[in-house]
Amino acid sequence: MSTAVVELACVGKTYASGRVHVEALRGVDLRIAEGELLAIMGPSGSGKTTLMEILGCLLQPTTGEYRFRGRPIHTIPPDGLARLRGEEIGFVFQSFNLLPRLTAAENVELPLGYRGVGRRERRERSLAALGRVGLGGRTRHLPSELSGGERQRVAIARALINRPSFILADEPTGNLDTRTGAEIMELLDGLNAEGTTVVMVTHDPHLGEHAKRCLYIRDGRVHDHPEEGDPR
Amino acid sequence: MNLLQVTRSALLTLRTQKLRTFLTLFGMVWGTASVVFLLSWGLGIERMIEAGFGRVGRNVVTVFAGKIGEDFTPAHDRRQLWFTRADVGALAGRLEHADLVLGEARGWYPVTAGQGMLSRDVRGVEPRHMALRGTRMAAGRAISQADLNSRRRVAVLGDGARKRLLGPRGRIGDTIHILGTPYSVIGFFARVGTQLARDFDEVDEQVWIPITTLLATGPRYGTDHEVIDLIALRARDRSEFDALVEEVRAILARRLSVSPGDKEAIIVVSPIQALRNVPLGQIRGLLFILAAATLVIGGIGILNMMLDAVQERSQEIGVRLAVGARRRDVVGQFFLETLVVTAVGGLAGLSLGVASCWALSRLQVPDVVPVPILQPWIVWLALGVMSAVGFASGVVPAWRASRVEPSITLRTE
Repeated sequence: MSTAVVELACVGKTYASGRVHVEALRGVDLRIAEGELLAIMGPSGSGKTTLMEILGCLLQPTTGEYRFRGRPIHTIPPDGLARLRGEEIGFVFQSFNLLPRLTAAENVELPLGYRGVGRRERRERSLAALGRVGLGGRTRHLPSELSGGERQRVAIARALINRPSFILADEPTGNLDTRTGAEIMELLDGLNAEGTTVVMVTHDPHLGEHAKRCLYIRDGRVHDHPEEGDPR
Repeated sequence: MNLLQVTRSALLTLRTQKLRTFLTLFGMVWGTASVVFLLSWGLGIERMIEAGFGRVGRNVVTVFAGKIGEDFTPAHDRRQLWFTRADVGALAGRLEHADLVLGEARGWYPVTAGQGMLSRDVRGVEPRHMALRGTRMAAGRAISQADLNSRRRVAVLGDGARKRLLGPRGRIGDTIHILGTPYSVIGFFARVGTQLARDFDEVDEQVWIPITTLLATGPRYGTDHEVIDLIALRARDRSEFDALVEEVRAILARRLSVSPGDKEAIIVVSPIQALRNVPLGQIRGLLFILAAATLVIGGIGILNMMLDAVQERSQEIGVRLAVGARRRDVVGQFFLETLVVTAVGGLAGLSLGVASCWALSRLQVPDVVPVPILQPWIVWLALGVMSAVGFASGVVPAWRASRVEPSITLRTE
């Protein structure tokens, strides 16, 4: 058995808003091995995004334990978590989440800035990353001047810039047409082929077909097999 | 996040909502301009007041003789005291805190000239009076020692007295009559300006003649002594006023056989004293508080705008955290952005304040209207207050930014 990147043991997450408590996740056990291409599928409201944010160390679980490469994350101080997010994890979001005020190149080099990488090296690496996703000619454009597919490529270039070993993609093709979506998937496939662990959260069955392993999430619980009504 | 990006981000925050930005920055611009303008103007008021009090003569102290102030004697029975030129001689050279001691005789005398007859404040003086009162000749010559020695009937007119007595066609060499005796006009004083302190009439309205000539017009107060009406002294420094009054009282009281503390017998009047009663410090403080309060309100506007910006940019905060920003990176960014926004408004206001002070100080205004006087310390103080306000307005949005929950923000679209 290969080394585990992620181990969740009995993880739960409860949101308290006023007097209403919402249980987004209940007792999730999950193990993701190095080099996996995993799809987590589920309808909206099933707890997908919450799971994703816990995996990305943006959110602390209410119950249970999360180990990232063997380290329980609740023992890591906030600055350490920030470094973990910056160096080991790459995020790709459904809505791209590019900063509208920064150019494509500046968006891509954002994670490097927080690691204290020098200006010249930042620029070189961001141009290289943009070249890799096929956007070498549009580095000075603002996100509003790019198409949906181009924006998602910028977001992927940003996720790649620190050469993370773990990529989290939340509906990476959700806002894209079929052809562009396929191109983005090819990019993710390619990364996985190079050894990067990729976890996608989606409700798109086509995306699931790309994955080596599929998990299904319903009402905050994770299952190995689809049930009636699950996307297949 | 480098400074360039912070600055650009701050400018973008300003650009996204033009009206809101205009209104917000207006508060900051207005506040900073107010600090510069009001402080400069306050300084102008101080200068105007000091100049106004100084026009009776810089650091002049005048001493009059009154009546002995004894409780049990009815006022009308008390003896009127007077000074003579001998008293002036006794003071001269014995005062540590005065550099000029002069006797002055004066009276309200009818003066006849081309324009008709007017009652004027006629002063019997000696040459050094010009230094004491700070008068300058506009035309002709001043009263000389030779005039005094020969008791010449010559007169120098103040600017207002000249206009009233001689009209626009008055010349040096014209003749005026004082108490029916002809005097030759030998000079005119330059205009002194509005006085905030004076003894009897303003200098501009006076007619000066040699003191010896005035004393020779006849017996005064029913005695043959050379009775003078006031002793005018010039304090070496404003701060030596109290010491000067004390030594003058000590000497004069002995000569008049009165108590040195008798304020009805020896009456001391001075613009130094009057100026002390003007609360210049309070005026300055009040103007500063007013201006700073305006600036603080401007700062609250910025604070409000930046709080809105934090709210609107919660997604950005989430993304930054997701790509490895620490909380303090985000806090620092918003803090810096607030400082940049403050600096934009503050520096604009500073320029406006400096420009308005400069423009107003070039206007020709009457000497009782204060004009702003800009000094470097005012600019530094405005910069300081501005930075403090920017700092204070930056803390709250930054703190709010630090509390934004990233997980929630990534969902908000």
